[in-house]
Amino acid sequence: MTCTETRDLFSALADDALTPGERAALDAHLAGCAECRRELAGLLRTVKLVRAMDPVHAPAGFVDRVLAAAQPAPSHRRLVRRLMRPWPTLPLGAAALLLIGGLAVLLFRGSPEQQRAAHDQLEAARAPSSERNVAAPQSVEAPPAAVTAAPRSDTDLSKNYSEPPKSESMRAKTAAPTTKTDAPSPRARAERAQATVPNASRDSVSSAREQEAQQRLTPPAAMERRDAKRELADRGQEALAPAVGGRSAAAPSAAERQPPPVGAATPAPAMATAKAQAMPQSAPLSRTGPMTGIPAAPPDVTARLRVAHVSGAERALIELAARVGGRQTGRRIDGGRLVVELAVPRDTYAEFVREAAALGAVSIESQATDRPMLAVAVTVSN
Amino acid sequence: MREGLGADPPGLLPRLRAGDPRAFEELVIAYQHRVFGVALRMLGNRAEAEEIAQEVFLRAHRAIADFRGEARLGTWLYAIASRLCLNRLASPDRRLARGDDALMDVPASTPDAAAAAERAELDAALRAAIAELPDDRRLVLVLRDVEGLSYEQIAEALALDPGTVRSRLHRARMQLKEKLERFA
Repeated sequence: MTCTETRDLFSALADDALTPGERAALDAHLAGCAECRRELAGLLRTVKLVRAMDPVHAPAGFVDRVLAAAQPAPSHRRLVRRLMRPWPTLPLGAAALLLIGGLAVLLFRGSPEQQRAAHDQLEAARAPSSERNVAAPQSVEAPPAAVTAAPRSDTDLSKNYSEPPKSESMRAKTAAPTTKTDAPSPRARAERAQATVPNASRDSVSSAREQEAQQRLTPPAAMERRDAKRELADRGQEALAPAVGGRSAAAPSAAERQPPPVGAATPAPAMATAKAQAMPQSAPLSRTGPMTGIPAAPPDVTARLRVAHVSGAERALIELAARVGGRQTGRRIDGGRLVVELAVPRDTYAEFVREAAALGAVSIESQATDRPMLAVAVTVSN
Repeated sequence: MREGLGADPPGLLPRLRAGDPRAFEELVIAYQHRVFGVALRMLGNRAEAEEIAQEVFLRAHRAIADFRGEARLGTWLYAIASRLCLNRLASPDRRLARGDDALMDVPASTPDAAAAAERAELDAALRAAIAELPDDRRLVLVLRDVEGLSYEQIAEALALDPGTVRSRLHRARMQLKEKLERFA
């Protein structure tokens, strides 16, 4: 046996995977070859080093995130979440509703009915005092009714917003944070063994991460992410056919390839659009929203992208940003046109522009590349 | 090295097939570290590893009805994880730097500062050397020497001949040995 043939057996020797014949031949060669003995010692030392590496642990909350992603919330809750998405926290949502209530009061006061009431009040002031006491309260009480209506609907919304999906069996059973603990579960036991964080704070951390995960994984963001992932995996599908047990582990079914049902995935942009159009055109929906990772300053880059299909281009832009190490930071409607807001690393900005040009006709309107992470606002239109 | 891949938790597969959500939760709990471990060692980036690991379980969740049960659940999950990692690595769009936090493991503590520094240097060199291996060799090395799978389980997960597993592993280890010779 030559030195080369001998050394080819070293790795299998480390695994005790040699046949008796191979082992005998190896031993015979090693007995007379000091160089191969040195080589073998080096290889065994290397194997020992690799095996001594600490095993990796999944990050805390991983199980929750997988379960949340695997079992999307019922459609009505998804709808409520989408409606609440522009308001990252309940106080902001409540404030916005109070503002709407306040506007309603102002509008009411300016309405013909109100003017008539005020006129009546004026007339009553001229009339004998017994009648005045009846007319005045009527006109004062109506506006507060409009104000109190708003918080009531807000309470309902917030309940649904923070209520965990029913299908996630191990979630907290109440919407408001309490110190109540769930019955022990396999997940709870396993995670408790890994962490020493007290239950109450773990619950709140878990709840926060859950919300974060929901925001990340709730359609349309989730659909976009999953579509992107499927597309990515599909590209390598031919090279690596499913290996074990299942015939379609990595192959999405025909049903999965179909676009999501209109009712499931499209209302969010549609509703956001409708909402934005109802509001002043320049009102930013997203830069103050939960996805905002950059300050609400003017963007470093403003660009226009003319495409055949706006919604498809929006998805493609978001995927492109992710591919170049960036992310979506928001979306808004400006002058009836969709503006996709992205954070793109300066280092990959050129690549971003190049690939964006493949989506449609790109024109850069302003461009400053001083900061390492660029705020890019792309107006997408037909 | 992790303990070898044992038998599936008893009764788990039928419950998974029946759509029991608790069974899926148990599956994720049981295999989360293994799946995430392979993804991290292959991709070298925690965020990307988590994304892939999550996708592994989501695909398993969707495809459990098609899983014939000829392999262990663990082997099946390793198979999905391996394929997704290799696909991701082969993607021309992949621009994330490898190895930015693949070196996250804390070196064994020792009272001797010089020994600690030496150990840390060796650890860093080892992880860098692993990260530089060709993807197919690194995968076999990770599955065998980090995750503790047998040759047969690796062959099954990667749809390879056991002889191919053995030769890839041999090349990977020899390559590592050469890179780490200065520490001998």
